[in-house]
Amino acid sequence: MIKVVDLHKNFGDLHVLKGISEEFSQGEVVSIIGPSGSGKSTFLRCLNLLETPTSGQIFFEGADITAKGIDIDKHRQKMGMVFQHFNVFPHKSVLENITLAPVLLKKKTKEEAQKQAMELLQRVGLADKAQEYPKRLSGGQKQRLAIVRALAMEPDVMLFDEPTSALDPEMVGEVLAVIRDMVRTTGLTTIIVTHEMGFAREISDRVLFMDEGVIAEKGTPQEIFGNPQNPRTKEFLSKVLNA
Amino acid sequence: MIAITVDLFVKYFGMFMEGMGYTLYMAAITVFFGTIFGTLICLVRSVKFPPVRWLAVAYVEIVRGTPLLLQMYLAYFLLPEIVNFDISKMQSVLVALIMNSAAYVSELIRAGIQAVDKGQAEAARSLGLSSVLTMKEIILPQAIKNILPALGNEFISIIKESSLGSSFFVGELMTVRSLLTGALYLTIEPLLIAGCLYFFLTFTLSKLIGVFERRLAVSD
Repeated sequence: MIKVVDLHKNFGDLHVLKGISEEFSQGEVVSIIGPSGSGKSTFLRCLNLLETPTSGQIFFEGADITAKGIDIDKHRQKMGMVFQHFNVFPHKSVLENITLAPVLLKKKTKEEAQKQAMELLQRVGLADKAQEYPKRLSGGQKQRLAIVRALAMEPDVMLFDEPTSALDPEMVGEVLAVIRDMVRTTGLTTIIVTHEMGFAREISDRVLFMDEGVIAEKGTPQEIFGNPQNPRTKEFLSKVLNA
Repeated sequence: MIAITVDLFVKYFGMFMEGMGYTLYMAAITVFFGTIFGTLICLVRSVKFPPVRWLAVAYVEIVRGTPLLLQMYLAYFLLPEIVNFDISKMQSVLVALIMNSAAYVSELIRAGIQAVDKGQAEAARSLGLSSVLTMKEIILPQAIKNILPALGNEFISIIKESSLGSSFFVGELMTVRSLLTGALYLTIEPLLIAGCLYFFLTFTLSKLIGVFERRLAVSD
C-alpha cells in the first residue's frame, strides 16, 4: 500500500533521514517509536509530502507520489493525518471542521457530509458539541475532532503524528480509546508515531524503532518490547519503560 | 489667544469642515486603493519565479525607505509628463499616497497571513485541499482578523500623512490652516484648531477600532 525506497531528508546541513526503505501493507497497524530527534515525525510527514524528501521515492497505492507533476492533493485525500497540536480550524464550527473538505472536494453533498459527520461525532462522544466552536473544546475533544475530520474523507491510510503528546495526562486515555476503536472497527492501515509504549505494544502489528535517521530495528511488538536485539533499542526502552 | 482661537473656529467653521472632509476623503480613497494594490503586491511576492518576487520586494523597500513628501513631489512633476491627460494636484498627491500606502499595506497583509499558525495550512493540505483552497477557506478568514484592525490603523496614519498634501494646496485640513495664516497673519491659532480636529479624528477612530477588535476577538 505504501512503499518507501531509500528516503533521505536534509534540513540545510542537518541530515534527518538517512536512507529509509520500508513497506506498509493493507490493513496493517504500525507504530514508530524512538528518541526525540530520531526523525520519526519527519518520516511520517514525508509520507504525505508535508515534508518534501531530498531524495528517494514513495509509492502510494502503486503511484510514485514523489514523481514530478503528480497531483499530490488527489493522493492526500486518501491519506488522513492527525497532528500533535490538533490543528482544528478555529473559525469553523465542529461540524464545519468535519464537512469542509468532503464538501469542498465534492466527495459528498452538504447533507450527506453532515449526516456522516454526526454519525462520526456520535462514535467519539462529541455529538452534543456539533454546533460549538473549537475554542470551547478541551484538548482531548479537539484531538477527537481532528481524528473525525480526517476520517470523514474516508482515507485508505491514517497517519498519527504523536497524537497524545500535547495532551494533559488525564485526556490521553480518551484519545487512545478513539484510535483503538477506529483501528478495530475500520481495519484502516494506520501508522502512528508515539511515545505511548503500552499503547504501541497493544495496538500494533509491527513496531519500527528509529534512531538517528534510520530504522534501527523492526519487528512485532513482542519482539521489540520483549526481546530487543539492537543495543540502542534496549537502551531506549529501558529509559522510557523505567521512567 | 483662546478667545481668538474660538472666534476663528466659529467664523471659519465651514472652511475647517471642508478641510476635514478632504482629509477624510483622501484617507478613504488611499486606504481603499492602497488595500487593492497592497494585495496585488502581496500576490506578486508569492510568485514562484524569483525575479518577479524581487521586483515586489524592491518596490516595498524603496517606497518605505524614501520620504512620502519626496514621492509626492515626484508624482506631482512626473505624472503630467507620463499621462496624456490633465491631472490635478489632488490626483497627483493621491497617486503618491496610494502607492506609498500600498507598500505598507502589503506588509500588513503579509504579517497577518504569517501570523496564522503553520499547522492550519498543514491540516488543510493533509485533507487534500489545494494551496488556493487552503488560502481561501482556512488562512485568509483567520488572517483577516489580524489585518482589519491594522488597516484601521493605516487609515489613521493616512489622516495624518495626508497633511503633507498641503505643500500642494490640495484643500485638506493643513491647507486650510495655511490659507488662514496667510490671509489673517495668525500663526498659532489656526494650528491649534487643525491640531484639535486631527486629534478628534484619530482618537475617535482608534477607539472605534478598539471596539471592533474586541468584537472580532469574541467570535474567535
